[in-house]
Amino acid sequence: MNERCAKTLTIMLALPALLLPAACLLYILFKGIPALDWAMLSGSSQDAAFGSISALWPQITGSLLLMLGACLLAAPVALGGTLFYALAANIRQRKALLGIMHLLVGIPPIVYGLCGLIVLVHMLHWGISLLTGMVILAVIILPMLLMNSVNAIKRIPSEKTAAARALGLSNGQLIRRVWLPAAWPALMTGLLLGMARALSETAPILFTATVFSGVSWPDSLFSPVTSLQTHLFYLAQEGANAEAVDIAWASAVILIILVTALSFGASALRNIRMNG
Amino acid sequence: MNTKKKITAIAAAAPQQVAAHDAGDISLHASRLSLALEGKNILRDISFSLPAQGINVLIGPSGAGKSTLLRCLNMLHTQWQGDLQIMGRDVRKWPDSEDGLRRTIGLIAQKPTLFPCSIQQNIVFGLSRKDRNHMPENRIKKVLKQAALWDEVKNRLHDQAATLSVGQQQRLCIARALMLSPNMLLLDEPTASLDPRSRQFIEASLLELSENMPVLCVTHDIEQAKRLGGKIIFMCDGRLIESGDSKLFFKHPNRIESREFLRWSVCDCS
Repeated sequence: MNERCAKTLTIMLALPALLLPAACLLYILFKGIPALDWAMLSGSSQDAAFGSISALWPQITGSLLLMLGACLLAAPVALGGTLFYALAANIRQRKALLGIMHLLVGIPPIVYGLCGLIVLVHMLHWGISLLTGMVILAVIILPMLLMNSVNAIKRIPSEKTAAARALGLSNGQLIRRVWLPAAWPALMTGLLLGMARALSETAPILFTATVFSGVSWPDSLFSPVTSLQTHLFYLAQEGANAEAVDIAWASAVILIILVTALSFGASALRNIRMNG
Repeated sequence: MNTKKKITAIAAAAPQQVAAHDAGDISLHASRLSLALEGKNILRDISFSLPAQGINVLIGPSGAGKSTLLRCLNMLHTQWQGDLQIMGRDVRKWPDSEDGLRRTIGLIAQKPTLFPCSIQQNIVFGLSRKDRNHMPENRIKKVLKQAALWDEVKNRLHDQAATLSVGQQQRLCIARALMLSPNMLLLDEPTASLDPRSRQFIEASLLELSENMPVLCVTHDIEQAKRLGGKIIFMCDGRLIESGDSKLFFKHPNRIESREFLRWSVCDCS
């Protein structure tokens, strides 16, 4: 009897955690899917009236460019930091590195946005640009990527590393022939989750990289872009304009599809890791 | 000759070999080797030599520092103090770095550790890419025979190494170390988790190998140390307590710690 009560209580406590996000998701899909059409995805927003009658292709491209740029900048730094942690750092340096990363993970993204605005946009005169947004997003996802890759390397059995070392493998050979083959699913999982995080950040790029309209494709790294996240943010404030709100819902659906695809990719890789 | 007879025959010959080589070339000379890790003294003033051939058995109770000593000898631990010479060369000034030194000294761990690839790829794992791609089959056959594994794997070299039994995996690790043509072989309780038959195979293989190179085998199994014969190095609490000919050691141990260990398999040095 007691066991049944405990089970019921557990289910009652777990239900809100499952139902609330599911309800939100269903509502977004319910509102957003009818607003989606092919013309919206493929057309141009060049002449759109304040973005409301708009194609979302430039926003999708902008979001993806920011995400890919951030990952291209952050991933090598994270990998370098991981190799320093695993091969060169002493215990004190390791503690310091992970301590700093934990601290950076806890800083609200808008603070990074503010730093980007002051340092990169104004002091370095990069302006509101794709590059500024990429750098700020890279800084935001770096701690997550680094901690993930450190954990991936830590999970490799120490006997394997010792066996490779005993065979006289150099650091480079150890990384290439033992660590990377063993850790790549975990590293890729972290990268995909980092991409999903970069894709869902809004506040920092609002200050540093994006404009609402007038841009369809950035001319260079120093040009501003439009993005799905900030587009959604601007349109959602146009509550009186029904068409704008519909496009906001459609943007939300596309954003969710992209983030979900990345999360599913990460999940699939995690399964490979567990089965492998 | 069957395996058991072979062990007995070689073990009987081993003490004479060691005695003969005591006066010959020294392959390894450690002098006042000490190691402290996280403020704790693990090894204290260890001095010993290994002759150019023959089997040497490092025995002692658990926690004596035997495995740590092996890891110092092939520079997996580098923070030790003292002097260590291998083939007359200071290991700190080894010509092609610590990696080169490790290729010269084969180290086999207690737990067989294989890489997730085929038996053949595991054997050549320590070689350069060029050597891996052009390794003649007879070289692979030779090391597998030396490790007493050829007959069991000759028809399945391309199978995954993980499909082997634990005893076979340990012999594969020995073959993998031999592939690098080491000048000496260090083994850290290589038969600790194996069945008696696999233990026999490995002991026979070690005795054969010790005819051409120095083999230093760690064990806390007194019976195995007796079977292997050769030179005994007895350690307890990070100190070298006694060393010498196996037969003499087991018959007339000089130190009270040795007698205590031989009687109870433990000793209270600390």
